[in-house]
Amino acid sequence: MNHGSQSALGLDVGTSRIVIARRAEDDFRYESQLNAFVAIPYSKITEGVLEREGIPHTVQLGQIIVHGNESEKFAGLLNAETRRPMTGGLLDAREPDSLSMIREILTTMFAGHRAEKRQKVCFTVPAAPLAAGGSLTYHEATLRQLLTDLNYEPVSINEGLAIVYSELESSNYTGIGISCGGGLCNVCLAYLSVPIISFSIPKAGDYIDSSAASVTGERANRIRLTKEDSFHFNGFFADKVHQVLGVYYDDMIRSLVTALKEAFTRTSNLPKFNRPIPMVLSGGTALPPGFRDRFEKLLWEQDFPVTVSDIRLAQNPLHSTAKGALVCALSDS
Amino acid sequence: MARSPILEPPEWVEMRAARIADPVERLGFLRRQMHETRERKARPARHWRGALLAAGLAAMMIIISLPAGTAETFARRGVVSAESSAPRVWLPRVWLVDKSDSSELYSNGLRIDLTFAVSNRPRSRFPIFSLAGGPKPQGEGRAPVGIVYHTTESNLAPFEEEENHRLQRLGRNLMEWVRQDRSYHYVIDRFGRVYRVVKESDAANHVGMSIWADSRGVYVNLNDSFLGVSFEGQTGAVDEVTPAQISAGNVLTEMLRSRYGIATENCVTHAQVSVNPQNMRIGEHTDWAGKFPFAGVGLPDNYSIPVASMFVFGFDYDSVFLRATGTRWRGLDLAELRVAREAAAEGLETRQYRAMLQHRYKDIASALKEKSGEVNQ
Repeated sequence: MNHGSQSALGLDVGTSRIVIARRAEDDFRYESQLNAFVAIPYSKITEGVLEREGIPHTVQLGQIIVHGNESEKFAGLLNAETRRPMTGGLLDAREPDSLSMIREILTTMFAGHRAEKRQKVCFTVPAAPLAAGGSLTYHEATLRQLLTDLNYEPVSINEGLAIVYSELESSNYTGIGISCGGGLCNVCLAYLSVPIISFSIPKAGDYIDSSAASVTGERANRIRLTKEDSFHFNGFFADKVHQVLGVYYDDMIRSLVTALKEAFTRTSNLPKFNRPIPMVLSGGTALPPGFRDRFEKLLWEQDFPVTVSDIRLAQNPLHSTAKGALVCALSDS
Repeated sequence: MARSPILEPPEWVEMRAARIADPVERLGFLRRQMHETRERKARPARHWRGALLAAGLAAMMIIISLPAGTAETFARRGVVSAESSAPRVWLPRVWLVDKSDSSELYSNGLRIDLTFAVSNRPRSRFPIFSLAGGPKPQGEGRAPVGIVYHTTESNLAPFEEEENHRLQRLGRNLMEWVRQDRSYHYVIDRFGRVYRVVKESDAANHVGMSIWADSRGVYVNLNDSFLGVSFEGQTGAVDEVTPAQISAGNVLTEMLRSRYGIATENCVTHAQVSVNPQNMRIGEHTDWAGKFPFAGVGLPDNYSIPVASMFVFGFDYDSVFLRATGTRWRGLDLAELRVAREAAAEGLETRQYRAMLQHRYKDIASALKEKSGEVNQ
């Protein structure tokens, strides 16, 4: 198994995480950083500590900005919310430092692996929302420019299609890939590797966090940590936060199932599949135990217009989007 | 929501892609082929005058050669369009019209009698093995992917009016026995009545040691992956099946293909899938080893499909089996040719290559046996 462009990269630029996938021998390697940052007051001592510990940061306008994975720890220490360059799957127009922070995070991640001249990188972009025809042009063009500036040769791939490329080899890349991320749920139906339908819905992990935060009075960041650490779908909830998380998770899944049915019913020219097709769920929001079962139950309740053979969780839900982007980049060469 | 036009690539593309083991190479191959398909589709548009003329001539030819029948019968047979873009795989659309405790009625006229309906163990997820090789499954399935046709091999009375009483008694006894054994999902009696026995969501004990493959992969031991439909009859008997049974088999096949999106290539007979691992020969069971009315039940001649157990796992056949087939299947020749070609490509003698394939089967069969032992414990 030797591909001409072993050095190509897959890049998942998600609302909550940025993940890079690389091919190493016959395996895939991943590296991820939180797509977040926190600003702390400047002091020489703090800067010295950060330098000594090798914590990624920048100094600007009398502030030290810690970005990536360490930002969460510092936010906890300072009892502050992290700031994020992206919201709802796209660059946040209201965050003045969004682009510079993504550049910093990517530079940190790329630093250990100096780019070869015009190395190919396939980066993920969300699909247009189902309800509105929002423009994704700015987001995609900006990331493309940023990667070009960093000496890469960028190509983009739809997030849902990346899931198909990562997980549905056994069905010749035919099936439905769903990425349940922080800002969006992205869906793509592909037929023999060709995307047929793709769309996104704006209810995903952040919606659950912020809704649960507003009901419980907790900070959204804290809700997210609780959700990632201990939430599971078993019908019994240890406390109020878990109970509220259950309510909003359910709401999110219902919205996704409804959107799936609506989009597939609305499409008159679906391919004539000669067998039931698989569906794969991926992304951090799909991680809680029982998520797949809950989704499956709600989908089976619908009269879904396409016969689905099975609904499975991605082998590695946090990395499958980046892996799909990498497989796409490698197959291009 | 973004939507792209549907492209239908040539049939061989999927088959060939399934044989590429490396995921990146497989994706690259498919993307190139789909790109070429798109290019090919775009090309004739430049010569629209010629294309229009050709389409007109083709339409005329089709109108002239259409068989006699009503619009409804054309639709039932799928002869609904002269367009060149008609789908390669025709899937009927059949829906449930009415349901009571004792029967179900479907839009294509199928009526299912539920008198003998019974549960069995729920259908398990079944492994799908790669066509390219390897002992481990490349994926799992959940919904039925095919139909295996059987005969009940039961006692038959002459199909004559004066035998009515005996015909009915034999049929009733047969149904009691099938229910007790959970032998099939459906039985079609000699009068063309369709009985559901084992629920479709459950596995029936119909097919045991068996193998089939499609472009998605290889299925081993098909009780969980294929539905069992049995015709009351006896292989080789004079009145093997009645016209009423064939007609009922047609509407039942239509309904099941519609419900599960089953490809025609996966509608096969027990003799085509049955194997004997003791002597590594096909046709442990020989029901419908020949003369299955494929055309009558709305299917192409699936005896022409290469026998999967032969080219995937190196199974062989003997003269007893050939006698049972009556007319030699084209699928036997194609499977043998495929084994010989692949052996040559590997630089091996056919005998050596077949032994290698058989070794793979034994690995898979013992792993499956171990797994089923774990489940049963």
